Amino acid sequence: MRSRAAIPALLALLALAFLASLAFGELRLSFGQVLAALQGGGDDIARTVVRDFRLPRALVGMAVGAALGASGVVMQAFFRNPLASPGLLGVSSGGALGAVAVLALGPLLGFASAAIWVLPLASTAGAFAATGAVLMLAQRGAGTERLLLSGVALNALLGAGTSFLLTTTAGHFEVNAQILFWLMGGLESRSWEHVWMGGPPILAACLLLLPLGRAMDLLSLGEQSAQSLGVDVRRLRFQLVLLSTILTALATAVAGMVGFVGLVVPHVLRLAFGPDHRRLLPYSMLGGAAFLLACDLVTRVFPMGLRLGVVTALIGGPFFLWLLRRPR
Amino acid sequence: MTAPALQTTSLAVLGRLEPVSLELGPGELVALVGPNGAGKSTLIQALAGLLPAQGTIQWNGQSLSRILMPDRGRRLAWVGQEALFEFAFPVREVVAQGRYAWGDDLSGVAEALAELDLTHLADRPATRLSGGERHRVGLARALATLAPIQLWDEPVAQLDVRHALEVMRLARRLADAGGTVLVSLHDLRAAYRFDRVLVLDRGRLVGNGRPHDVLTAPLIREVFRVEATFVESLVPELPPG
Amino acid sequence: MTRRLLALLLALALPLGAARPQRVVSQTVGTDELLLALADPGQIAALSHIAQDARFSPVATEAKRFPMIRESDAESVLRFRPDLVLATTFTRPETLNLLRRAGVRLLVLDRFDTLEDVYASLQLLGRELGQEARAEALVAQCRARVDTLAARLRGVRPVRVLSATIYPFTSGAGTTFQDLCEHAGALNVAAEAGLRGHAPTPSERLLQWRAEVLVVSDDPGIQARLGEIPHYRALPAFKAGRLVPVPGPLMSSISHHRIAAYEVLARALHPDRFR
Repeated sequence: MRSRAAIPALLALLALAFLASLAFGELRLSFGQVLAALQGGGDDIARTVVRDFRLPRALVGMAVGAALGASGVVMQAFFRNPLASPGLLGVSSGGALGAVAVLALGPLLGFASAAIWVLPLASTAGAFAATGAVLMLAQRGAGTERLLLSGVALNALLGAGTSFLLTTTAGHFEVNAQILFWLMGGLESRSWEHVWMGGPPILAACLLLLPLGRAMDLLSLGEQSAQSLGVDVRRLRFQLVLLSTILTALATAVAGMVGFVGLVVPHVLRLAFGPDHRRLLPYSMLGGAAFLLACDLVTRVFPMGLRLGVVTALIGGPFFLWLLRRPR
Repeated sequence: MTAPALQTTSLAVLGRLEPVSLELGPGELVALVGPNGAGKSTLIQALAGLLPAQGTIQWNGQSLSRILMPDRGRRLAWVGQEALFEFAFPVREVVAQGRYAWGDDLSGVAEALAELDLTHLADRPATRLSGGERHRVGLARALATLAPIQLWDEPVAQLDVRHALEVMRLARRLADAGGTVLVSLHDLRAAYRFDRVLVLDRGRLVGNGRPHDVLTAPLIREVFRVEATFVESLVPELPPG
Repeated sequence: MTRRLLALLLALALPLGAARPQRVVSQTVGTDELLLALADPGQIAALSHIAQDARFSPVATEAKRFPMIRESDAESVLRFRPDLVLATTFTRPETLNLLRRAGVRLLVLDRFDTLEDVYASLQLLGRELGQEARAEALVAQCRARVDTLAARLRGVRPVRVLSATIYPFTSGAGTTFQDLCEHAGALNVAAEAGLRGHAPTPSERLLQWRAEVLVVSDDPGIQARLGEIPHYRALPAFKAGRLVPVPGPLMSSISHHRIAAYEVLARALHPDRFR
């Protein structure tokens, strides 16, 4: 497939998903009503729904999707494996544990619920704490294999911690439900606070990532060969782990655990447009954003109580399998 | 008196390479030989700055630690033993990666492809090549860097006779043009055609000089544990032209 | 008559003609409330593990005089060598199973949506404890309270209310909240809109329900917490500050203590009827 058509096509797809996210939902609104609402007119309810509910939610969804898509590309280049995903180094597990700890221990410590910024903050702190050890290893030049194994061990440990907290709150079933909802990911009740919390840092990290594309090409074909060709491999690995952590941590902090996006989107786009990271990075950001919005739309339009993380897997999985089955 | 292209003083890698001191000048075609596990790859990687090592290394009289990363990409090219490509970059793209340190300047890529007989494979994904073809891609990439110092680790091990000879001729031409080319190989007969031979045995440098002086029967017996009989040249030649 | 509404699960029967149980253990907060209301102090062996926690238990102060089971599992219960264990359907089936296996007499309550369910539970428990008289008296007292309240509220226009919590659920028809509304002169807009049970909050349709008042728990800072949720923040009732706090343990009580919640809400919604 020609890559010249890629950016316009992906932008069009994203625009479509964005508009659909504004136009469709629980409340039936006509396009005219949506447009009027965006401009500040129309009836009160429509305006509130479009501007204060759907718009921030769509913006958050785009940021999260872009972050996960980009992070997936980084992990796949870093580990030289097209099956790598953002959570490999324990970032999302750490983020999960941070948030679940606040949800679980909050009631025990006296406050029934967390202020809006506490949960994302705790999640981000957890994510960085988890990757802290890995970052140090990456700087000291630990081999990729050792990093991978550290990630595996860390994921197991953090998962155990999260399960532990789940069981200790089993008696308080409302807290338990909140934790489960968070663990399954979702964009409910996302407001403008979440947009400002997640949007600018994710955008900044994405922009910082873009110039690293060429170097990532070289890294993805071997660390030693990359180094001999002039890439500062140690610094690059550190930058990649840092930026990927920021992206994954923020995405998890703002939307809970949403899987599959970081694995499927870059992989699919690579099959379609080739492995050049200078193109794959921006494509995956756009594609990830569009994909996430589409999945969120599904959760809102089909009132079956499907969680976002479930939809990304239900859509991403079979599509991915179909793509793999096509003859080369 | 120009500085040597590569110079080391007591270069050592813990457990793998005893202190080695050597000097390679411009215009030299050097062979690195030794039994399996002697440390050939280790020495080459250390010279290329790819392994942490003790001792000093200097490229063109400048200490390696003072040479910035991108500059290293312009001054020395390394080709490893393994040639694995995880992602399906077209061959042309892989070779073009040799130009990384030169920024956007893609000159030399087409020539490099031609030198290694890869022009007809230029658009093939690198993941769909045979072992020998992949090795040639690695060499083409190194060539594209236009680096005056070339370190090739067993570049002909998987190549057929014709391509192996072509690579040797390429190395010769690079040296004749003023470059320093170090090639590790197993074929002692081919090593005779080099300007200099380095012999490694169990991590120690036991030979450093002209082939006839270094590759003597006693040394070969000692290091390689084979009996060598010297016969007049039976090395196959490429037809001229 | 209401006996058939209750699922009565009995373990291996005690010998006929048993005396009043003297070591009763209550495994849930709801049964704590009932037990404390009916039993002689000497009959109570232990209360639930959150009986003394004021965040969940309306009888926290009273419960302090009694031991608590350490955890809600069977072993913690059996430690007190009970001759009767009170549980509800919130209890884990595995725990109930183990208690049954241990040969303990078990009383499991499963209906507590309406007051009639509560009265039936009280009467049933009264019989089990040998406190029929006390149970009848309590039921009569409750009926009187409720009748008085109903009399005060006669002819009042029901205020349109919505239960607002930080959890993504809304209480519709068939919940204790619905029961609360019916006794406090309120109309549950969620039930009017067709929601049943604890349904996922339909965040957009919420705006169309024209709730006049939001009923919230009395946690400090609940207003700020709710303000962070777009669909509550946007409600006219929220913007106008029309929030009525009702103590959490009372609002979700499955016992007769809910009547206190009725009174709290009724007073807040119809102050003119209480002068």
